[in-house]
Amino acid sequence: MWLSVLGLLLGISLGLLTDMQIPPEYADYLSIAVLASLDTLFGGIRAHLQHMYDDKVFVSGFFFNIVLAAGLAFLGVHLGVDLYLAAIFAFGVRLFQNIAVIRRLLLAKWTNKKEARESLG
Amino acid sequence: MRKKIFSRFSIILFIIGMMIAVQYNTVNEPDSRDTRDVWEIRQELSVEKQRHSELLSEIGQMDSTLDKYEAASKESPEQALKETVDELRKLAGLTEITGPGIEVAIEPSPEAVAMGQNIEGVSPDLLIRFVNSINSFNNLVVSIDGNRLVNTSAIRDINGQTTVNTQPVQTPPFAVKIVAGSMEDAEKLSNYLLSSPLLDDFYIDDLAVTVSEPKADLTVEAYDGKISSQYLKDAEEE
Repeated sequence: MWLSVLGLLLGISLGLLTDMQIPPEYADYLSIAVLASLDTLFGGIRAHLQHMYDDKVFVSGFFFNIVLAAGLAFLGVHLGVDLYLAAIFAFGVRLFQNIAVIRRLLLAKWTNKKEARESLG
Repeated sequence: MRKKIFSRFSIILFIIGMMIAVQYNTVNEPDSRDTRDVWEIRQELSVEKQRHSELLSEIGQMDSTLDKYEAASKESPEQALKETVDELRKLAGLTEITGPGIEVAIEPSPEAVAMGQNIEGVSPDLLIRFVNSINSFNNLVVSIDGNRLVNTSAIRDINGQTTVNTQPVQTPPFAVKIVAGSMEDAEKLSNYLLSSPLLDDFYIDDLAVTVSEPKADLTVEAYDGKISSQYLKDAEEE
């Protein structure tokens, strides 16, 4: 688990230190991509906790969601419809659901452990 | 298996972190962009160059003072110090100064006199505007109605009267004496005043301004007040 946190910290520090910037026109796409990746990430964590994690699904979902979200935003800009709102809505709702499920799973795990310890003691 | 999952997660998290950081950088980018065109930059460059040359000439002056000190310290240190004090007194406006300059007479305008209008004193705002605009010339020595302008001079309204150095300025007519560095400068100043919109500003207040021809020696009075230096302190030894 700490390896993942390390990866996150490494990514953030690398991004901040290199002072990399993208043109402001593309900031919208990147924000949607970040949302999509967060959604995939929490989906992966949930799947892992529910013991149905699949490597291929996770990695392909990550990239596919990002591309889909950015593509939808791109299409929206060109059609004059705020399609990126759809992406934000979908990902936002799923993000909350995933986090809720993760919370429940962790709570259940914790209570189970506690009960097991009490029954032992 | 577990290890593999975490390595995948690490890679994904690394990418996410990178994306978040880039997004943060992009959003926090200050949007004050350099929008000056070539001419504006040129102008700024010329201003800086002028400052550069001014600083250089100042350095030259300091150097020559230093040389004088060094040369004089062998013979008579007092003499060098006295010279410096005199120079500083001159700069501070404590001595009379005679030199090429112009006299500006401020009088009630003939129209106002003909109409029998009340002649009121010149307003401090107008005087300040006048002084500020002639201050665009360097090295001017100015006295308004016999009151020498020094660095700490205030032109302001005290109980309805316009004062310079807290001395009231009389109701027009009165004279403003300006000594410039050279005859050429005096001429320039005179031409500048003749063509400046300031005269119209004076005319609005029913005042006429007459700018004299440059005179070879005009004497400007010394500042007779006390220069308050309550905030000045001795420099500390290093």
